[in-house]
Amino acid sequence: MRSHNLMRCALAVLLWASLGSPFEKAHAEWTVPDELLEQVSALSDEQADFITSGAALKFMPEQQLEHELATRDAQSLQALVNDLISLSAEMAYDPERDMGAAPLNLASRRFNRGTLPTPAPLRELEREPGPFSVHRYLYPRSGIPTFAGAKVAIWPEDLVAGNVDVAIIGVPSNAGSGRRDAGNGPNAMRATNTIATPDLQSLVEPLEVLSVVDYGNFSVNWLSTELAIGHVADMVAETAGTGAIPMLVGGDTSMLYPGVKGVARAHGEGSFGLLHLNAHPDAEQHGDHTVSDRQSLFLLLEEGIVDGSDTVQVGLRGPEVSVESLQWLRGKKVRYHTMAEIEQRGFDKVLKRVLREVDKGPDAFFVSIDVSVIRPTEMIAAGRVAPSGLHIDEVTRVIRHVCAAKDIVGFEITDLAPMLDLSRLSVLNANAVLNACLAGIAVRKSGLDPDYIHPLVRDHGQ
Amino acid sequence: MASRIPLVGLIAAAFALATVAWGSEEPVPPLPTPETPEHVTGEQPYPFDSADPRDEEEDKPPIELPESVAEKLSLLSPEEVEFLKSKDARPFTGSEEDTVEALEERTPEEVKAWVNAMQLVVEHNPYKEGRDSPNIPLNMASPEFNAWRLQRPRSMDPKREPGPVSLGRYDGYGGPPTFGGLPMALSREDLIAGEVDVAILGAPLNMGSGWRDSGERATVDLRLLGRPIGNRDQYVQVDAGEVLTIVDYGDVAVDNNSTERSMKHVREIVREIASTGAVPMIVGGDHSLEYPNVAGLADVYGKEKLSVIHFDSHYDAWWGGTHLIDHGYPVYRLINEGHVRAADYIQVGLRSGGPDKTGFNWMREQGMRYHNMAEVEQRGWDAVLDRVVAEASEEGRKLHISFDIDVLDPAFTVATGTPVPGGMTMREAITIVRRLCAESNVVGFDLVELHSALDPTYKTTLNSAHIIKACLTGLAMNREGLTAEHYLSPLSSEHAIDDYYGDQQQFLDATKAEEEAEDESAD
Repeated sequence: MRSHNLMRCALAVLLWASLGSPFEKAHAEWTVPDELLEQVSALSDEQADFITSGAALKFMPEQQLEHELATRDAQSLQALVNDLISLSAEMAYDPERDMGAAPLNLASRRFNRGTLPTPAPLRELEREPGPFSVHRYLYPRSGIPTFAGAKVAIWPEDLVAGNVDVAIIGVPSNAGSGRRDAGNGPNAMRATNTIATPDLQSLVEPLEVLSVVDYGNFSVNWLSTELAIGHVADMVAETAGTGAIPMLVGGDTSMLYPGVKGVARAHGEGSFGLLHLNAHPDAEQHGDHTVSDRQSLFLLLEEGIVDGSDTVQVGLRGPEVSVESLQWLRGKKVRYHTMAEIEQRGFDKVLKRVLREVDKGPDAFFVSIDVSVIRPTEMIAAGRVAPSGLHIDEVTRVIRHVCAAKDIVGFEITDLAPMLDLSRLSVLNANAVLNACLAGIAVRKSGLDPDYIHPLVRDHGQ
Repeated sequence: MASRIPLVGLIAAAFALATVAWGSEEPVPPLPTPETPEHVTGEQPYPFDSADPRDEEEDKPPIELPESVAEKLSLLSPEEVEFLKSKDARPFTGSEEDTVEALEERTPEEVKAWVNAMQLVVEHNPYKEGRDSPNIPLNMASPEFNAWRLQRPRSMDPKREPGPVSLGRYDGYGGPPTFGGLPMALSREDLIAGEVDVAILGAPLNMGSGWRDSGERATVDLRLLGRPIGNRDQYVQVDAGEVLTIVDYGDVAVDNNSTERSMKHVREIVREIASTGAVPMIVGGDHSLEYPNVAGLADVYGKEKLSVIHFDSHYDAWWGGTHLIDHGYPVYRLINEGHVRAADYIQVGLRSGGPDKTGFNWMREQGMRYHNMAEVEQRGWDAVLDRVVAEASEEGRKLHISFDIDVLDPAFTVATGTPVPGGMTMREAITIVRRLCAESNVVGFDLVELHSALDPTYKTTLNSAHIIKACLTGLAMNREGLTAEHYLSPLSSEHAIDDYYGDQQQFLDATKAEEEAEDESAD
C-alpha cells in the first residue's frame, strides 16, 4: 500500500513537471496524515485511491479534506467520495455528452460578411490615395472625432501614399472574462481628444514629427473571439506590411494575440520583444476555449510568436496570479515584475531593472498594456479591475521611455470599458498612455536621446 | 416569504417534516428527457434546417444587355458575362438600365475588374467548405473542460433536510441578499420537499446584448435591490409571499464566451424547475435566454403545447447570420426547432427600426399575433391590453411570458442593452403583467436585458423588481381564484363610502350587512 502510494506520488510529480497543473502539484505534495489512515482504510480500493492520490484535492483544500476525513462517519465519507469520483469523471470533455465545437449557421448567406474590405472597383467614390482630413477648419479638433484629431486612412494604399508612420486602429471586441464594454473603448478614446499633445519632457510635437492617421476599426465577430482573430491578424499584418506602426486600441485583451501575431507575420516571429503591462498574467494553460483574454500571452509564447526571454511583464497582481501561473512564466523565461516586487523595492528600482531588461532585448519591441495595470482610483473602467496597481505617471514613464528607446513595431492598449466610468477619467488616462508611446516614437524619430529633457522645461534658469 | 408565514404555520410545518425520517428520502423522479435534440454533442452540425426562408429571393430572370455595350464586355469570359447578367450581380449593379449606364462609364479593363470584384464578394460571403470553419472549436483537451458547470454535490456540505433554506438569523431576515429576501433552494429535492410554487433563477448571460455587462451584476443587483419581489400588492390586496412558496434558486452557470454552449445547461436547470411543477422565473441576462427557457418548459409540457408572450421593443425573430443564437434570434430558433408554433406567439410593444415588410409579412403568414406600439398609438392602451389578455388566455393554454425590459420606455429602464424610446410606462406594464399572470395559465416567466452598469440610480433595477413582483402577485391571485377580468380589490381601489361612480352599490350593501352583523354580535 505504502509503496503503491509512493509510486503514485512519483508519477504525480512527473505529471506535474510535464503538465504544470496545480492539481497535479497538489497530488505531489500531500499525503494522508497517519492519524487519518484508518478512516481511509475503511473505504473501497477505488475510494481510497481517490483520496490517497490527492485527486480529491481538485475539489477542496487539504485542510478541508483532512477535516472531512476526521469527522465523517464511514457512510457519509463514502457518499462524499463517491460524489467526488462522479464529478471527476464529468470534468473532462466527453464527445457523447459535451459540445466540443459550437455549430454555426452554414446556410447563412452572410456567413463571412463584415470581414471583406470593399474591393476597389466596388467603392462608390474615386479619390487619390492618401490620408484625408474630416475637419472643415484649418485647425481641426472639431466635428467627427478621430484618434488624435488625425487624418483618416481607409485602405493600405492610403498608408503607403501618405508615408504613414503610425496608424491608430480600433479593435472593438467585447468578450473575455471581465466586466464588459471594451467594445466602446476605441470610440470613447476618439471622442475625448487628448491624444498627440506635445511631449512635456522634450517639447516634441508628435503630429509635427510623425505622420499619424486614424485607420478606423478592424471588424470583429461580436459573439466569438475565435472567429474574430483571423481577420484581425490579417489586417494587422497588412498594416504593418506598409511600414506603418499599428497602434491598436481594444477591445478586450483577447485581441493581444492577433495584434502581436499580425505584427509577427510582417516582421518575423521572434524578431521583436514584448513589453506587457497588465495586472493579469493571461497565461492560462488549460482553458476550455481556444482563445480568450486569459490565454493571450500563453498563446503568443506557446506558439513561439514572441520569445519568453524577450518578454517583460510589469504590474502583475489580482486573482490569476498563482504559483502555477508564475512558475509557467518563469519556465518560459519571462521577466515578470509583480506589484509585490514593486512594493518591496520601490517603483524606481523596478523601473530601472525593467528598462535594463528591455535594453538587453531585441532592437524592436511591441508595447502592450491592459489598462487593469493602472490602479482603480485612476482607471476604474478597466474590464478586469484589480485593487492597488501602478499610478498613471508610472505607467507613462515606462511606456514613453521604451517607445523612445526601441524600434517600436506595434502598440496595443486593451480592456478600457468606458461605460464603467461616468466621470470619463479613465478615458483621459487611457489616452495619456497612448500619448506616452506616441511621444516616445516622435522623440526617437527626432533623433533625440530617450531621456533628453528640453532645457526650457528643466528649469526657468533665471 | 418564510419570514411572513405565520409562526404557527412554521411550527406545524416543522412537526409535519419531523415525522418524515429524512434519512430515507423518497427517490426523486427522473427528469423528463427532451423530445428534440437539446444541443449538438461532439463536433456535429446543427441538426435543423438553418436557412432563413425570408432570405429566399424570388428567382429573378437574368437581365439582357444590349449590343451597344458588347465592346465593353469584350474582356469578360462567358462565365463572367453570365454572372453580370445574373441576379447575383443585381445588388451591385442595380437594374438593367443602371448596369448599362455603369458599363458605359467604364473601359473594358475596368469592367473586368468591376465584375471580378463582385464575384469576389459573392464568393466570400457564404460558408465554403474547406475554407471556413463550420463551427467554433472548443479546447476539447482541457482537463477542466466542464469545470464551469459542475454542480457541488450535497454531500460536500453538512447534512440538512431537503427544502427551502432561510439564510437569515432573525425570522428569515439578516442573511446574505436573496431575491426579495426569500429562502434559497438549490436542487430539485429542495423544490419537491418544499412544494415550491415559484423558483427565481438568475442567469448572468453577458454575450448577446447591444451594450454589455448585462450579466453578473444584473442578477446580483436584483438581489440587492429586489425587496419588492414577493411583497404585498395594494391594488389587489394579495401578498404573493404568503400565498405562494417562492424561492431564490441561485444562478445558473453560463459560459460568457459562448452563448451556444450555455444554452443546454440553462435549459436543463429550467427543465429541472418546471418538472417539479414550480414556475421557473428566470432573470437575466440577455434575451438569448428566451430560447433555453421556453425549450426547457417544452421539454416538460410537450412540444407545441405552450404559448409565449414576448414583451420587447424588438421582434427577436432574426435569423440567417453566422451564429445560431444571440439576443436577436430566440423566437426564430424556438419556432424552427418546433418547441412553439409561430401561431402561439404573441408579441407586444415592438417599435425598433426592424423588421421590414418581409419580416411582418412572414409573421402574418405564420399566424403570429403582434401588437406594436403603432397599434397602441392608433387604438389606445386599454383596447390593446384587453386584446392581448384575451389572446393569451385562449383555450386555457399554458403560457410563458418573456419580458425584455426594453419594452418599457427608457425613462423607466434606461439601463438596458438596446433601449428604444416610445415604450410602455411602468403603470401599463405592472397592470398587463399582473393581469396575465392572474388571468392566464402562466407556467414560466423571464425578465431579461437588465444592465446594471448603466444604472447608477438603481431605477432600472427597482423597476425590474416591480415587474417580477407584478407577475408573482398575479400568480398568487390565480391561486386564490381572483381570476375575474381585471380584478382589483374593491376596498383599495376606492374608498366607496358613497356610490360616486354608480357601480358600487353591491359592495356598499355587503359591507353594511357585515357591519350590522358585527354590531349585533358585539351587543
